[in-house]
Amino acid sequence: MGTRILTVEDDERIRTAVRMALEDEGWIVDEAGSGEDALEAFSRAPADVVLIDLMLPGIDGFELCRSIRRQSDVPVLMVTARADTHDVVAGLEAGADDYVTKPFQPKELSARIRALLRRVRAGDSGSTQMRFGDLELIPEEGVVRREGKEVHLTKTEFRLLCELAATPGRVFSREQLLERVWGYDYFGDGRLVDVHIRRLRTKVEKDPANPRHVLTVRGLGYKLQP
Amino acid sequence: MALGFRGPVRIRDTSTRLGLRARLIFAFALGALILSIMLAGVTYGLVRENVLRQRETAATQQAFNNARVMRDALRTARGDRSSVLQSLQIAGSRPVLYHRNEWIGIDIETGQYDLPRELRTAVISDGEVARMRYVLRGETRLAVGVPIPAVEAAYFEIVSLQEVDDTLDSLTVALLLAALVTTVAGAGIGAWASRRVLRPLAEVSGAAAAIASGHLDTRLEDLSDPDLAELVESFNHMARALEERIERDARFASDVSHELRSPLTTLSASIEVLQGRRADMPERAQAALDLLVADVQRFQSMVEDLLEISRFDAGAARLDVEPVRIGELVLHAIGTAGAGDVPIELAEDADDLVVPADKRRLVRVLANLLDNAERHAGGATRIAVDRIDGGVRIAVEDAGPGVDPEDRERVFERFSRGSAAGRRGSGGGDGVGLGLALVREHIALHGGTVRVEDRPDGQRGARFVIELPGLVA
Repeated sequence: MGTRILTVEDDERIRTAVRMALEDEGWIVDEAGSGEDALEAFSRAPADVVLIDLMLPGIDGFELCRSIRRQSDVPVLMVTARADTHDVVAGLEAGADDYVTKPFQPKELSARIRALLRRVRAGDSGSTQMRFGDLELIPEEGVVRREGKEVHLTKTEFRLLCELAATPGRVFSREQLLERVWGYDYFGDGRLVDVHIRRLRTKVEKDPANPRHVLTVRGLGYKLQP
Repeated sequence: MALGFRGPVRIRDTSTRLGLRARLIFAFALGALILSIMLAGVTYGLVRENVLRQRETAATQQAFNNARVMRDALRTARGDRSSVLQSLQIAGSRPVLYHRNEWIGIDIETGQYDLPRELRTAVISDGEVARMRYVLRGETRLAVGVPIPAVEAAYFEIVSLQEVDDTLDSLTVALLLAALVTTVAGAGIGAWASRRVLRPLAEVSGAAAAIASGHLDTRLEDLSDPDLAELVESFNHMARALEERIERDARFASDVSHELRSPLTTLSASIEVLQGRRADMPERAQAALDLLVADVQRFQSMVEDLLEISRFDAGAARLDVEPVRIGELVLHAIGTAGAGDVPIELAEDADDLVVPADKRRLVRVLANLLDNAERHAGGATRIAVDRIDGGVRIAVEDAGPGVDPEDRERVFERFSRGSAAGRRGSGGGDGVGLGLALVREHIALHGGTVRVEDRPDGQRGARFVIELPGLVA
């Protein structure tokens, strides 16, 4: 079965043009003109990647993102007005995995989608079980347990944790994490890492405000404390 | 709306060359001078009249008394006339006697020639009491003549008024001094008053300067003085209107650029679809598609530049600061800009050169500088990263025509079109002339500076220098 992409965009011309460009990449594209339509389409035929314009009438992009997150760990790529607003952080906190800014080049868009798809599939291969205090990580099965209970992570959060866990105690810079998890070269947005680390902590840490496992090394980056 | 464009309006300048302040001081001083001179003149006149009249009255009184004494002496022919005269002499006065066609004075120097002819005629021939003021041998004198018909004589008394003159001279000096002091005091009061009057104007000019330097929300405080309330009100009204207008313009540019993004997204995606089918197209359609691709690209970068700059205008530009290794960033930026073959010289301790910066903006800065060099000078020839005091310096050099000294500020202005600036300001070909303006805005947001200068090695070409502060030691 081919890769399905759900595009949520209220401007019909953009939607059509983007659909055609993405179809040329060999993907199956579903379209939705509003948040409500998107939720319905998603429940009918789950997508492999969801593309959400944050500016939507009715249910806005942030709310849609949260709704989808509640039912799925599908990678979400959001389309924002611009890079230097709070929208980016708000969208990432709502559960988006990555973002592009409008106007975007279709090539840029498909590169981001491919990176997200890679991340989904990368979960399959990996080392065997690892244990850090109360935290248990089984990369092969894509499972994380804290105090024996399974914790639900998105694909991106899981990849991020796996990267940090691959060499416990080693400090990873934001650039390195952007490259390994998001597939960016040097020019990724450091906020992607920051927000995902924050989200990761709320799930794997007992007290996210005083993390024991996922630690910040000031001015350098992040590390996983064994 | 208050600010309609009706062509420039100039307030007519009715003033002379002197400043308002100088004129006020001058007016006060002149007023004081005139007043004090008038007062001095009146004082002098009154005092002089008074003193002279007193003196004359006293002298006349004395002359009458002395004439009586002389008459009695001549009647009784008692004693010698000269010795009587001697006895009548007191300090400052000299008696002269005319007796039986004979003139007798107290000494050889005093005689009829000390008296004016008119006085002698009036007293001796006409038999009248007469009094006359005159100057003889540099001395002001008063002579009083009293006829004594009973003994065929006339008694004259000459009084020196030199003393009075000296007193009046001292008075004149004192009055002149007083006038001078008054004038200076007048000027002082003028200076003080002008400062008080002009203080509100100084506030207005301060506020205007603040507005000019970008603090558009500057307003004058309400003054209690009703004369100035109108000025304050109209000034604040002007400032408000100006602020609104500038904000509206900034919003307009921002809104327009925002609106352009949607069609641009459609255009880029559609073109991508077309490009995937380029091989199936006839040759003419391919050529047209190529044009379309190139110009949509150009259009996109223009809109991005406009969006970026409108965010600066709206004050919405925000730094996403993180510690950035400048050497690393420059290497990556050069690679991305397709200028990987440009020689780059990193300082030996380049790995330690870390400044807090917004990576995205710095990458744009370098891309714009490289693009500028590409466009106007055939590409950058050297890029250097150095440590400076408390910061880092990035220099981009080219071998183009360079930038004339008079254009070195202008190339960083928006849409710069000028002699060399037109070719330089990243505006000649593809951009909208915002490339270098954005460089300056981005760098200013970091608290840094950017400038263009001659190449230090003396070769032809320009050198753009960025300096960023905040080196993390």
